[in-house]
Amino acid sequence: MNQVKKSPQDEGVKRSYSSFSRLSGEHPFKEKVPEGRVEYKARHKKGGKVTFFNFELARDMGLIPKTHPAELNPELEKEILHTFSIVIINEYDVINDIKFPEDEVLPNTYMATRYLQLQHPDKTGKTSGDGRTVWNGTVRHQGVTWDVSSCGTGGTKLSPACNLNKKFYQTGDPSVSYGCGLSEVSEGLETLFFSEVLGKNGFKTERVLAIVEFEKGLSINVRANPNLLRPSHFLGHLKQGNLKNLKQVTDYYIDRQIENKIWAQTTFKSDKERYAYLAKQVAKTFSEMSAKFEDEYIFCWLDWDGDNILMDGGIIDYGSIRQFGLFHAEYRYDDVQRYSTTILEQRQKARYIVQCFAQIADFLTTGKKKSLSGFRKHETLEYFDKHFSECKNSNLLQKIGFQKSHQEILIKGHLPLVTRFRRSFSYFERSKSKKGIYKVADGINWNAIFCMRDILRELPQIYLARQTHLSQEDFMEVIKSSYAKKNDLKITEMRRKQINRFQETYSAMIAAIEKASGSNRSQILLEVTMRSSVINKYDRVTGDSITYIVDKVKKLRPKLSPEELFQLAQQFSSYQNLDPDKKAVASVVPPRHKNIMQGLYSIVRDCREGL
Amino acid sequence: MKLVLYSGGDDRENATLDRAFIELIGKKNPVVTFIPSSSYFSEQEFRAFVRHYSKFRISRFILFPIDVPFDRILLNEVMKSDAIHLGGGNTFYFLNALRKAKLLTQLKDFVKRGGVLSGLSAGAIIMTENIDMAAYPEFDRDENKVGISNLSSLDLVNFMFFPHFKNSARYDAAFRKYTKAKSKVIYACPDGGGIVVNDNEHRFIGKCFVYAKGYKFPIL
Repeated sequence: MNQVKKSPQDEGVKRSYSSFSRLSGEHPFKEKVPEGRVEYKARHKKGGKVTFFNFELARDMGLIPKTHPAELNPELEKEILHTFSIVIINEYDVINDIKFPEDEVLPNTYMATRYLQLQHPDKTGKTSGDGRTVWNGTVRHQGVTWDVSSCGTGGTKLSPACNLNKKFYQTGDPSVSYGCGLSEVSEGLETLFFSEVLGKNGFKTERVLAIVEFEKGLSINVRANPNLLRPSHFLGHLKQGNLKNLKQVTDYYIDRQIENKIWAQTTFKSDKERYAYLAKQVAKTFSEMSAKFEDEYIFCWLDWDGDNILMDGGIIDYGSIRQFGLFHAEYRYDDVQRYSTTILEQRQKARYIVQCFAQIADFLTTGKKKSLSGFRKHETLEYFDKHFSECKNSNLLQKIGFQKSHQEILIKGHLPLVTRFRRSFSYFERSKSKKGIYKVADGINWNAIFCMRDILRELPQIYLARQTHLSQEDFMEVIKSSYAKKNDLKITEMRRKQINRFQETYSAMIAAIEKASGSNRSQILLEVTMRSSVINKYDRVTGDSITYIVDKVKKLRPKLSPEELFQLAQQFSSYQNLDPDKKAVASVVPPRHKNIMQGLYSIVRDCREGL
Repeated sequence: MKLVLYSGGDDRENATLDRAFIELIGKKNPVVTFIPSSSYFSEQEFRAFVRHYSKFRISRFILFPIDVPFDRILLNEVMKSDAIHLGGGNTFYFLNALRKAKLLTQLKDFVKRGGVLSGLSAGAIIMTENIDMAAYPEFDRDENKVGISNLSSLDLVNFMFFPHFKNSARYDAAFRKYTKAKSKVIYACPDGGGIVVNDNEHRFIGKCFVYAKGYKFPIL
């Protein structure tokens, strides 16, 4: 069909950035799970320019040396464009015999992986998967293998549009949006800002390695993670009852986890033990992840197909990801044909995915696929429930501001007290406005009315200063959010009880730590004050704020170099780092960035209680 | 009136001023509020502030950023504190935030009631009649990013305060010129230096200078 272009190695050119050569389409998944992917030839896409490059991530991945400055020299820029400015030659191109200049066609093929997706009509994963993404390859550095994939590299036959309309589309066909195979700079920027912030705050997430921009705001957004497999990569084969493929993908995944030293146990007496361990790991990961999502108000549309999350509980596809300022537990995203899950329903969806992995472990061990319902009471799920509850407790104690050793005192010796406080905390966190459900820009919501971060930030300081509890009226004054109207704030008998319980159990926890640790009350409250001021910072990023920030950055971008965009993303994520143990001192911000950053702060502040 | 004006510098350099600050408070385990000039990374400043003053056996601190909304409950506690410290930073931004939050009058009242008010650099300039010294001399000034033109401030003392002073001909020329034209005197203090005001008594720490009517004198 087409001639292939020689790569720089073929021409014997010495490359300073030689690790990039590993990102030319070759990936072990191709060989290990042959039926788990579709392969495409690809060609160079002209007219790209590097809008963003993540120097920090590239250093971690060994793509550039540890000492490489955060500067895009011409050679590095050329390497990035050479590696990532690609577009696949898809079925439409082949059927219509579209000719491409020989020197533009690349030597290797690139894979799009198959995985289960709910929006596909067949619902078994036979036709679904990466619709506009191909995998560039892997790089290994300091004992970690990284997957790299690029979004916006052309429409594959695994896109929903192809299957719903039963036809192939030319890449860029304006009659379909998602199915056209392209992506936009704004998607890359949204993922960049959100993932860098969440990554700094202990969430596992895909990260943006590079954004290559083309005309009309289109881009190729390059992502990286130590393992980009999703549960849906397994669940398709499970639905189909395809033992061979399921075993291949599972073994491939396990090998990677062991290779990357993610798993504590690396040798197993039998396959049974190995697959049971996998199920347990999924239960652990997904209970931790769903508890953290709930406690940090992360809205991630989890569903039974498991295509919106990575196997390690990492966030992928930021299109529908949000972080709420308050516990807006009734928010649902409107996806035209259906509404999304709510934050509180995420746990059940995560649990369901774990149930599927209990079924997978059994299927792989026995060779027989049993009914999923038979695993409803499986020990893995019991573990999920137990660990979820443990995580909820430790997350709350962390949120209050207790240091690790004090959290342990409470968990080990005063669990009923912690549970009592959690109940009271949840009562306020889940209180909703009398306004009821109403439409918002992209779905429906029922406003939460109390800001738990505010009460957790102020309470230890007030106790330190006055050494008495707040009156009920004062408590309401501190905890009320801007969403609360006068009639939401009535102090009913129930509320009175809960205010008392909240403060009594809070103080009782302090007293318990005082007794067990030898520190006095003031010392404990002071430590909690300092930690809580970081954890429960007044202005925390929300989904809405990211949208506005991306709009602002887009407007500024013609004047922002890739280096400046990198610095801005770093500064912003550092400012939004709410980990009291890792919070760094403010870096020196170049004068030109100060105004930009001030603009970003005020956006975060204005949107702090929203969606 | 009990005030401590810190120029800047590190913990060791400020040891004398710190002792004076603690003496002015004159109370066991007082409540001390830290008001940062900006909430940006204020948690880190607060942590450093707490670490520093904990050495004086103080354990009751309040962090009170004023460029974000706050509730009256915490404000009440702040105004009941034994001491309030105004942090360093951009003086224009700080003054603008204090004015927007309607705190200038409340801080004056706090001082009138006998509370100890201290300030470092920008925080010290804020205690004077206006923040001219943040805009002067031209070669060493804060950027007025917030674009305020009303520079009048707490007006708690009858002098101007210039922090981070370096004894040089450039500053001499600038301050002689300023004091020739205006009636106020300027107290210029190097890092580690400052002024302790206890009602009518002014105590100078460090190698400070006074500029008045175009003349310069060392304060001995």
